[in-house]
Amino acid sequence: MGANQNVTMLSLRIQKVFFFAIILFLSFSCRKKGCMDPNATNFDSDAEVADNTTCLYVDFQRSEMLANICDNYIIPAYADFNEKTTILNVAATTFSSDPTDTKFQLLKDAWKIALLSWQQVSFIDFGPAEFIILKNQVNIYPTNVSLISENISLGVYDLGNSSNNDAKGFQALDYLLHMPGLNEQEQVAYFIGEDNALTYLVELTNDLKNNAQYVVNEWEVYKSTFRSNNGSNAVGSSVSNLVNGLCSYYETYIRKGKIGLPLGAFNQFTQEIDPTLVECYYHQESLPFISTALEGMKKYINGVSFNGNTNGLGLDDYMDYVGATQNSSSLSTVISDQIDLVLGSLGELNDPLSNELAVNESGVLDTYGTMQQLVPYMKVDMTSALGVLITYQDNDGD
Amino acid sequence: MMEIRKWLSKQVFSEESIAPLVVFRILFGSMMLLSTLRFMLKGWVTDLYITPTYFFTYSGFDWVKPFDEFGMFIVFGAILISCLFITIGLFYRFSALIFFIAFTYIELLDKTNYLNHYYFISLVAFLMMFLPANKRCSLDLYFGFTDKKNKVARWTINIIKFQLAVVYIFAGISKLNYEWLIEAQPLINWLKHQTDLPLIGALMKYEFTAFLFSWGGALFDLLIVFILLNKRFRIYGYVMVILFHGLTAVMFPIGVFPYVMIVSTLIFFSTSFHEKTITAIESRMPIKPKKHSLVSAGIKNIKPKPYIGILLSLYIFIQLLVPLRYIMYPGKLFWTEQGYRFSWRVMLIEKVGYAQFYIHEDGGTGKKLINNRQYLTPQQEKMMSTQPDMILQYAHHLRDEYSNKTFIEKNGKQIHLVIPKVTAEIYVSLFNKGSRLFIDPDENLSSLNRGVGHKKWIRKYEN
Repeated sequence: MGANQNVTMLSLRIQKVFFFAIILFLSFSCRKKGCMDPNATNFDSDAEVADNTTCLYVDFQRSEMLANICDNYIIPAYADFNEKTTILNVAATTFSSDPTDTKFQLLKDAWKIALLSWQQVSFIDFGPAEFIILKNQVNIYPTNVSLISENISLGVYDLGNSSNNDAKGFQALDYLLHMPGLNEQEQVAYFIGEDNALTYLVELTNDLKNNAQYVVNEWEVYKSTFRSNNGSNAVGSSVSNLVNGLCSYYETYIRKGKIGLPLGAFNQFTQEIDPTLVECYYHQESLPFISTALEGMKKYINGVSFNGNTNGLGLDDYMDYVGATQNSSSLSTVISDQIDLVLGSLGELNDPLSNELAVNESGVLDTYGTMQQLVPYMKVDMTSALGVLITYQDNDGD
Repeated sequence: MMEIRKWLSKQVFSEESIAPLVVFRILFGSMMLLSTLRFMLKGWVTDLYITPTYFFTYSGFDWVKPFDEFGMFIVFGAILISCLFITIGLFYRFSALIFFIAFTYIELLDKTNYLNHYYFISLVAFLMMFLPANKRCSLDLYFGFTDKKNKVARWTINIIKFQLAVVYIFAGISKLNYEWLIEAQPLINWLKHQTDLPLIGALMKYEFTAFLFSWGGALFDLLIVFILLNKRFRIYGYVMVILFHGLTAVMFPIGVFPYVMIVSTLIFFSTSFHEKTITAIESRMPIKPKKHSLVSAGIKNIKPKPYIGILLSLYIFIQLLVPLRYIMYPGKLFWTEQGYRFSWRVMLIEKVGYAQFYIHEDGGTGKKLINNRQYLTPQQEKMMSTQPDMILQYAHHLRDEYSNKTFIEKNGKQIHLVIPKVTAEIYVSLFNKGSRLFIDPDENLSSLNRGVGHKKWIRKYEN
């Protein structure tokens, strides 16, 4: 009897467990299963249970990414830069033949538009841009006011000589177009009275235009090299060039140059601010240029087209393809979000930045903090994920 | 017990054909010759030993300093000549000594350039000094500087086999970890960049391939020596050696290492194979050795020399112990890298770092951010950023650069430093899991001692 009872009890217990298991199974089944990775092509926003084994991703092709970035960002962005510097040059020529207040205003507008365009190509710091070290020819600051004055008064100078890099480009124009202490009429009067200055102005825009033209022409040839150099991510490959150019430009010329140096983060021990080091110091407006550079960078990283907002294959897709994460979020999202954070923080600041540094140093420090955080994300996480060495030194590893 | 003693005595003191040793000498010498030439042609002598202003020396070897450009090229010239002489067997013992000293000197200069295969070469060069590898097929023999010997004590060949076994088996053991086996790291990431490889490229996008390579690689490393030791399977093993190292050579920038291994493992082949090889070489030599050098030593039983047994045991003991020293350190090995070098951990981790160093004003709030490129080459900076012992060395270098100096700031303020505090904010990413703080950013690195003790200032690894 007893044994029989035990058997019944046992089978009852098994039934219970089985029943419970079914309930559990059903309750899970009722919750919608699906892919919950936002980067997957079949991302299911209604899903409640993550079943990421079903996730499908864009079949990533490095060659297609390079083609997309080249055709839809680099080429049109340089074309835009070429167009805007040509317009600037025309505006300068027009002003020099007929120096009026209106034409001066038009020239200043053209200058700003061209400089904004430069921000969007500045970080394409490899290939043709690197052949002629474009960044040093186009946008060195602080500009060398005494060298500018010397060049103007002598009337003889060689803008192709790198010793004149800090007396030419957008920042020399910044000084010439916004001379401190002069109002607009006085400025125009100055140019009318100084033939050499007028010539210098035109020469500077000519130089910008020619450099832009050079890069556009070179890319026509370089394009095929860039797209076909996709065999690996080793030193010298297109992915390596692109990523190294981007990381070093961001670190040195955006984070350090645009905010870090004026903020004094690199100013010896006291780390005292130096407002004269801001970009466009004389124009008294710096923030739009920084934001534009970062917005451009975000597009470039995410494979978004320069004109319009078509999202194609970019470094973000490459990072997703290799499954790179940062604190369990996808690295591509982390980088994108961090750029947004920088942009948001920049939005909290007011121009002129040189003044903001004096009255709201802590605000600028916050912005710098968000910019600084982006450096390891790009230089450590991104390069590691993409297997790109941050070094130009060839070496063996093991 | 007696059986083991007997077996050991046989492996060490019984006679065997000298052929494998002679072939090894020729192959090793010529490999090193090519490898050194390649190194020089790539301009690395200048990049690695002339350009840097600071060198990351090894503890206990801080006195090893580079010469000037001329001196360094003399050293490399000496390496080239000694490799050539080892190959042709001229002044063999002396050449082996010069090669060992010069090569090891180069490796001791800067741990930035540490590679397991360089360490392997140093060890083999050390062993070669004691091996009678010039008793056949050598110019020493031709000129009568040495006597011909057809047989040598077995240990002279077995010690090379042992050294190769140490490399493979420890490399295999080091792969038996969670990341390598369960996550297929770091291959799962690395392989995805290899989709353009001919033939097998299409396979690289599948995670399965990474697992196959990880497990296959671990099994290969663990078993290959035993396969090569087996007469029947040896030839299949060698095909695997060629495939495995050939594949790694195509996929990763690891220089000559694959070829060194492909060539070195030939020593496992039968004596008849090696006999045929050197007979073929000898028959093609234009001039035959002089008569008086043809005296064969011809001793049947080499008298066991106890000191050889002791020295061999000591060498083997050290070789087995050094790779295991990491066990004495707490924390995650891949993160702290304490006891990481000299342990045959090859292509195991993907690690990248970013380091910012600060010199602090004595008693003040000022701190200066250091531009690393002012003191280090890109390669040095890269290696330093992820390796705690190098971080500490660099911090000490900065401390010394800034000690007992007065700095005048742009605003005219004078800052005098006696022994400044040095801190570092370092972010490191391991296996692409996201960069995070590597060491305690408030730790004053300037006052810490170097040494082999556990570095408490390394932060705990968080997954």
